[in-house]
Amino acid sequence: MMGDAAVSRGDRVPFWGRTVSLPFYKGLVTFLFGSPRRQFWLLASFSIIWVLFAHLGPILQMLHVSFLDGYPPTAGREPVMTLANYERFFSESIFILPFFRTLAFASLLTAATLVITYPVAYFLARHVRRQRQLALLLLLLIPFWVGEIVRTYAIMILLGNNGAVNLLLRWLGLVDRPIPFMYTGFSLSIGIIYLTALYMLLPLYSALEKLPASYSEAAADLGAGGWTRFRRITLPLTREGIASGCTLVFLISSGYYATPVLLGGPATTVFAETVARFFHVAGDEWPTGAAFSCLMLLTALAIAGAFNRLVSPRRVGAGG
Amino acid sequence: MKRNSRAFLACAYWAFVVYLFVPLMLMVMMGFKDSKFIGFPIRSWTLEWYLGVFRDTEVLSVFGYSLLIAILSTVLSLAIGTWIAAFLNSYRTFPGRMLVFGLTLLPAVVPGIISAISLRIYARVLGIEPGLWAIVWSHAVHNVPFVVLVVIARLSTLPPSQTEAARDLGADPLIAFIRVTVPYLRPALIGAGIFCLLLSFDDFVRSFFLGGYDPTLPVLIFTRLHSGMSPEINAIATVALVLTAIVGIWAERSMRRMRKEQNA
Repeated sequence: MMGDAAVSRGDRVPFWGRTVSLPFYKGLVTFLFGSPRRQFWLLASFSIIWVLFAHLGPILQMLHVSFLDGYPPTAGREPVMTLANYERFFSESIFILPFFRTLAFASLLTAATLVITYPVAYFLARHVRRQRQLALLLLLLIPFWVGEIVRTYAIMILLGNNGAVNLLLRWLGLVDRPIPFMYTGFSLSIGIIYLTALYMLLPLYSALEKLPASYSEAAADLGAGGWTRFRRITLPLTREGIASGCTLVFLISSGYYATPVLLGGPATTVFAETVARFFHVAGDEWPTGAAFSCLMLLTALAIAGAFNRLVSPRRVGAGG
Repeated sequence: MKRNSRAFLACAYWAFVVYLFVPLMLMVMMGFKDSKFIGFPIRSWTLEWYLGVFRDTEVLSVFGYSLLIAILSTVLSLAIGTWIAAFLNSYRTFPGRMLVFGLTLLPAVVPGIISAISLRIYARVLGIEPGLWAIVWSHAVHNVPFVVLVVIARLSTLPPSQTEAARDLGADPLIAFIRVTVPYLRPALIGAGIFCLLLSFDDFVRSFFLGGYDPTLPVLIFTRLHSGMSPEINAIATVALVLTAIVGIWAERSMRRMRKEQNA
């Protein structure tokens, strides 16, 4: 459209003028924007249809399929509603174990990420001049733009038996043979923290940046020591940032699939791998996979919501 | 006491920078190793693996395919996201607004694997075959919440008097939107668009579950990793890394310019 406008600049009537005087265009605009109510429906209808159809639809359909005894449907046979897919989850420990492992793992990693990134965010917000803050923050954002798979692969190279860490340890004479870091909970944790750290860092930074330094100074004048100031002033006043950072990291880290496959081992099977198996290896077990996904989604959102409510009581819902 | 804590915090920051950068640097370096086996130490160096990336027709076509998906899904999510943002911004007293807003953000809080699986089931219901359009659709759904958040932040700073002035001068609502609102939104649209491009180009889980026989770049790296690590994968990953890092820095700058304009 812009191109047409440029071309038509030489004409007497400009592009927009010509467009507006087309009878078809006039009719269209009167039809769409004839009254405030029509304008409202034009904007509202598509928005509401899209969020219901594209955002809520997949979740509801997954819930529906989770109650069917067979999906995708086979010809000449109506699927029957059943609870068997949910019963299956509670009957076998190979399903229950990864489920709780995922939740425990995601919680632990969220806590670890918080502890690791809080000093970094605090340093940026409090000890760096305003001009340099953005530069130092941008530096941290660069690796964030690199995709999940590439960063997971980078961790594989770091921690492998011939990896950089083992080379360094051997060179320092600390070990004789390489330590098998890979395919353990350790390598998986390092990888997931690597992927999610910035989702924690950004909310923490923006919460700390908004907090006036004068609050801490006032507390210092009243005789509070460094630790007391942090515990009584800074920490409570940044809990909004802590809540949204933790919610994001918890939900994101419980949803990784490729990273556990590449960095984890048999002892660290997470629920995402369990669920994925029903879709890839055993092609006809979609309803079971759907039921398991529903259980996980519900639990993850409930935990995130409860945590949010606990940490910042004024906010409602799990929206990060 | 104060100096000590500052030194400690500075160390924490720089240690974090090392943690973020060293693995990626090692990965780039390993692509120059003159051997088939991944691992240190590197005794001799070669450019062969990097040159190989540009000779490998499969890799090049996968690059193109990923780029096509990224562009299509970005255009789609920008259009849809702007539409929803315009609605949420114009009718702030609409009773169901919070519900629509919550549903808009829903795809952003659903864990990745569940999002991929629910979209896979849904695509089956809608009759969308796994492949290009299924991936584009899933990426668009995932990206819309981010577009809405960025565009609404910008829209809320547009003084209503500007579109009203256009209306007084005889513009109909559509012309006022195209010639006043859209130019005002430009920095937000560029920033959100680049963000969507990166999210789509880097996405693994949705592309993996909704893809047909043609892999996207992350899926290709994932499947090649199954047959073992090799410097060839390092070279492919590095090319992807350089591309995304350049685009990311560009995005960051355009977003910063927008914030500066807003503050001014």
